[in-house]
Amino acid sequence: MTLLRRAIAALGVAAVIAGALRVRGTGGTPPQSGGWRELQGPELK
Amino acid sequence: MTVVGQRTATVAVAGVGATGARAARQLVGCAEVDEVLLSGHGERPAAMRRSLGDRASLADPLDATGAVVLAGATSSQLELARKAVQAGLHVVSTSDAVDDVVALLDLHDLAVARGVSVVAGAAFAPGLTCVLARHLRGWLDTVEEIHVARFGTGGPACARQHHDALSTRTADWRDGEWSRRQAGSGRELCVFPDPVGSIDCYRAALPDPVLLHRAFPEAERITARQAANRRQRLTAWLPMLRRPHPEGRIGAVRVEVRGRRDGVCVTEVAGVIDRPAVAAGAVAGLTVRHAVADAFVPGAYGLASVVDSTAFLHELAAVGVRAAVFVGST
Repeated sequence: MTLLRRAIAALGVAAVIAGALRVRGTGGTPPQSGGWRELQGPELK
Repeated sequence: MTVVGQRTATVAVAGVGATGARAARQLVGCAEVDEVLLSGHGERPAAMRRSLGDRASLADPLDATGAVVLAGATSSQLELARKAVQAGLHVVSTSDAVDDVVALLDLHDLAVARGVSVVAGAAFAPGLTCVLARHLRGWLDTVEEIHVARFGTGGPACARQHHDALSTRTADWRDGEWSRRQAGSGRELCVFPDPVGSIDCYRAALPDPVLLHRAFPEAERITARQAANRRQRLTAWLPMLRRPHPEGRIGAVRVEVRGRRDGVCVTEVAGVIDRPAVAAGAVAGLTVRHAVADAFVPGAYGLASVVDSTAFLHELAAVGVRAAVFVGST
């Protein structure tokens, strides 16, 4: 019974951590240089 | 406005929501179209007809002589598309539902037999994404990967599709086979043109990989992602908790193509920002003009398979939809 309770508690903690990681955080870092400019001239050929 | 072709025809717009209304407005003002036939539910078609003037009328879509734009609810598109093809009409669909796009592509043999084109996914994403992918592909000697991302929604139907796309399984092309993953996974920070900027995007059930794989079968990886916030991800498995807005605000698409040029690995990135329904209407309208001018070969495909991307982007720029490229390190 103790083992079962510990397993359920471990699963619960794992689910909370997984949920937090899924909801929070970020998918990467934005580029540190460069930017957007309109397509023009040779790029439209 | 540029004249794409000399032939003129009557064009039907089935569904005059946020996107269909913009497409109809584009078509009313162009030289290739004699008259625009409007149809749909409720009072909107009549209100649109009053707004568009003498060159628009209310009629059955199959009364058209040139093409039908399918801009209505996604579930209603296939039956009308089949009837239109059988009637010898070009079909341009704005649906961004995977099932719709696959079903429309299945009309290929019928379209070839009837000598008409069926353009699936002629909107913002897919649509403009396909044109950008085709354009970037032209800058490379070989293509290895194509990654598409989108942000924002058009009208209510688009918002519902956006919601549904985050709750099912996705299909990305990966190393020669379709890879099924859970939507909402695969977080990746995607950089869209300013002022949208960097936004986390996730796998979603989007039809872009299906269309792009047909156009670029040599590409080893083709993926599509969709921007979503925490609320959208957490509630994706529920029905929409509130009514969608009549029209979304600013949206953006981004296409990244990786390949080789002169033996060197290169990555090219292009994007567009606009109100999604406005850009989708412009893409659909321009696609119809090309179809009516018989610029496309008979068959069913996405824009990436047939479009002359340079001319198409020039014409889109003329109506205010301007593409941008990312210069620098991504």
